[in-house]
Amino acid sequence: MERKNLIDEINPEIRDVLIEMGAEDIFKCYQCGKCGSACPWFQVGTYDFPVFRVALEAALGTLAASEDKEELAREIDKVYRCVGCEACVDQCPHGVDIPKIFRAARRLLVDFGSYPEVLKATVRRIRETSNPFGEPKDKRPEWAKEIGIKHFDPSMEFLYFAGCIPAFDLRARRVAQATARLLLATEVPFGTLGTAENCCCEIVRRIGAEGVFTELASANIEAFLKAGVERIFVTCPHCYDSFKNEYPDLGSKFEVLHSSQYLLDFIEEGKLKPKRPFEYRVVYHDPCVLGRQNGIYDEPRSILRSIPGIELVEVEDFSRSLSVCCGAGSGGLWMEWDRDERIASVRAKQLTETGADVIAVACPYCLQMIEETTKSLDSEIPVMDVAEILAYSCLEDPGPIILPEDQS
Amino acid sequence: MVKLTIDGQTIEVDEGTTILQAANQLGIEIPTLCYHPAIEPYQVCRVCLVEVRKGTTSKLVPSCGYKVEDGIEVLTRSERVLKRRKTIVELILAQAPNSKRVQALAQDLGIEKPRFAKRREIECILCGLCVEMCNTIMGVGAISFARRGIEREVTTPYSIRSDVCTKCGACVSVCPTNCIRIEDIAGEPPEPIASEFDEGLASRPCIYLPFPQAVPNKPVIDRSNCMYFEAGTCQVCKKVCQPGAIDYDQKDEVIEENVGAVIIATGYELYPISEIPEYGGGKYADVIDGLQFERLLSASGPTQGEIRRPSDGKIPKRVAFISCVGSRDPEHHMAYCSKICCMYMAKHALLYKEHVPDGEAIIFNIDVRTSSKDYEEFYTRAKQEANVLYIRGKPSRIIKDGDGLMIWAVNTLTGKQVRVHCDMVVVSMAIVPTKETLKLTKDLRIPTNQYGFLSEVHPKLRPVESLVRGFYLAGCAHGPKDIPESIAQASAAAAKTLEMFSSGELTSEPLVATVNDDLCISCRVCIETCPYEARLYDEEKDIVIVNEILCQGCGACVVACPTGATQQRNLFDQQVIKMVEVIFGTQEPNR
Repeated sequence: MERKNLIDEINPEIRDVLIEMGAEDIFKCYQCGKCGSACPWFQVGTYDFPVFRVALEAALGTLAASEDKEELAREIDKVYRCVGCEACVDQCPHGVDIPKIFRAARRLLVDFGSYPEVLKATVRRIRETSNPFGEPKDKRPEWAKEIGIKHFDPSMEFLYFAGCIPAFDLRARRVAQATARLLLATEVPFGTLGTAENCCCEIVRRIGAEGVFTELASANIEAFLKAGVERIFVTCPHCYDSFKNEYPDLGSKFEVLHSSQYLLDFIEEGKLKPKRPFEYRVVYHDPCVLGRQNGIYDEPRSILRSIPGIELVEVEDFSRSLSVCCGAGSGGLWMEWDRDERIASVRAKQLTETGADVIAVACPYCLQMIEETTKSLDSEIPVMDVAEILAYSCLEDPGPIILPEDQS
Repeated sequence: MVKLTIDGQTIEVDEGTTILQAANQLGIEIPTLCYHPAIEPYQVCRVCLVEVRKGTTSKLVPSCGYKVEDGIEVLTRSERVLKRRKTIVELILAQAPNSKRVQALAQDLGIEKPRFAKRREIECILCGLCVEMCNTIMGVGAISFARRGIEREVTTPYSIRSDVCTKCGACVSVCPTNCIRIEDIAGEPPEPIASEFDEGLASRPCIYLPFPQAVPNKPVIDRSNCMYFEAGTCQVCKKVCQPGAIDYDQKDEVIEENVGAVIIATGYELYPISEIPEYGGGKYADVIDGLQFERLLSASGPTQGEIRRPSDGKIPKRVAFISCVGSRDPEHHMAYCSKICCMYMAKHALLYKEHVPDGEAIIFNIDVRTSSKDYEEFYTRAKQEANVLYIRGKPSRIIKDGDGLMIWAVNTLTGKQVRVHCDMVVVSMAIVPTKETLKLTKDLRIPTNQYGFLSEVHPKLRPVESLVRGFYLAGCAHGPKDIPESIAQASAAAAKTLEMFSSGELTSEPLVATVNDDLCISCRVCIETCPYEARLYDEEKDIVIVNEILCQGCGACVVACPTGATQQRNLFDQQVIKMVEVIFGTQEPNR
């Protein structure tokens, strides 16, 4: 009988490749296992996700390296479970970047073409159409045309980069439009780049397709430079993280602000004045990429507090750095799980149990995941972006805003 | 002076003395209830009745308020007194059946069950102590008597929440039936002063013994909370202290001594739980640290040695211990191992199982470090004799679960998820230097490591000497240590000190700083720079000189000196430059 899989062979070549691909933290791990229960999969509870072993497996050179088909399939399943929320990194006593180790393994798998078909299709669509939905490129500026946003020119203050989900998804489009309406109200000149915008490719990089990332991200940088962009205002925290923390590796030097930052600035400068009361109990869900990964916890809350009538509540024990992922990160949006096996179900339950009338988010991914999941839980609690609530309070015409009483 | 007899004993006392005070002087005990030595006798409970005979007349009077008269004969336990007292106590007991003090009085008088019925719901016996305390002694006036007859009660004006109540608790402290509550008066609960010795698990008054074995074994006054220092009122302690030992003018004294050496042994404290948000950050009463659990185990502790959890006093049936909380965590807290936790956790778990044999003790650990004599055997005992359950895995969360707590972890050996309901959690917090140590080392300019632990001269060869000469190290001020190690180091420090004192002369390293007098412009930068205070300004010569005994040859002044007047002996610039050139091969070494 073949006994190979019962032994942890030490495979320095694989280890070195993984380190090369970003798994440089593997020797920091001391196997305390804290990451195992910090992981949102722990709360799902249907699968013992061995997060705490990953660093050791990478150090042994056995991660995602089996030659046995069945075992490799199990490895692929494991490696693509990680939603990159960094709850583990936040609690790790040695700051081991576990998602980065997973990403290194993913790069290895992508190089061999052995990764989930749904993600392959997503990467292919992004490569071909510059958006993950496979929509034609020229449909991208539609949302902006509807409300009369101009094309960017260098005399303008900043570029508003809506991101793929707000540009193409009909629900998220309302967020982009609400944000743009608020920006119009400030009378500060701004524009978009229309069809010259590509997907930021944060997700592509997290899936492991490094080559596609470099190609499209470079195209974005080139388009920004060509148009004379210096400041970029975004709506999606994933674009924010990518532009701010990853593009500089490719030589970019843009100032990037997330909507929760610039909208708060405009409120503080008096350019936006929340006046219409929003008399609901609102619970704010911290998106992982905005909160844990970029430290933006207070700005969205400050915006919500500036709106009259709002009662802001927190998810006890699970807010701010202890917030739980919606499950959409690092490709999770495209992975398909049963309802009882979804991270989103855990989070949606926590959010609805606060007794809030509205769930406020600041990320299109979270918006999509939580909205879908609350519906599947037969909850009628609406999910709104912070910008939508602010637009409702500030603007005469905030566009279509669906309030709790409009829901059923 | 007044002369009288009490129960046949003759005594002479000052005029104005009460019979009760006179009897006390003779050591004759008269039971009291509404009497308090600090308060003007209200003479309402009549428990302290005595018989006073004067010539042929005889009467019953309350001894607490009756002033002595010349030639009277006092009987404290005559048949008439006892009969009347018994009836009085019986009436009071009927009203306050749960009061320990009244029960004790009744027991002394042989009362088993009162013949009378309880007239009012509340146990208040209207003794007036609280009212007098609040009005006269504390000068607050938040409560008083209201209404008459059977409706008479102690209450706030119009029975609404009092704005003037300071929540000082004086009323509660004197109530013999425990029926007055701050919540009823001020509308909110009192804020007890946490007992430092009981690690906040119990409260303490403003005048208190710091701990049972304190030396000297005398109470101290907590000036920041004492009502006398806060409002000039109260002074109850002074009034009740018979030897008159209370002196409000006494202050902390700073005593200056000239010494030849100092051994720094300022100990440790625990890193606060509030720093660990994932374990509740201090919001759960039943998540306690090791020192608090130690107090729960102590017979002189807040629970008299019974293991009862702080939130509701229940005996916890499952206790989890978590190791390495705040230590071995370079990312967020302390990088070092706190060293003592593995062993005290094993001890705590073992003692817990002795106290609660049907309870379960779980120790969440990363490694169990038992690297001293007999330690491994003790760890084995905890597992084998007491069946303490060791789970390898650091929990990531403690959250509320019913009336207890839920711990989330992964058992890294089985790979399975662990969700354990516990009644109480004891977290082994990191050992950190005390705030006093940090201040001391800053003031004395004694080098420490990045965490504030005192640095030694050499980790292997000179482990008990500070980098500053004359300072020696002992115990946890130097780094986490257990008791045997602390004692060994303290002994070594003492021996080192004696060695220095007995040798008659001091030897020092020759590589110290020197000053070229011609170049020195007495800018005194070196004095600022020197960490050892080895630089002194010589006014006569207008130059800065070096105290060669204090100088440790660190070279900081050499770098700081703007004119090059300061050089290190045997390590002049030319010598260093030559060495560098030889190392880089730009010059041949001198043969």
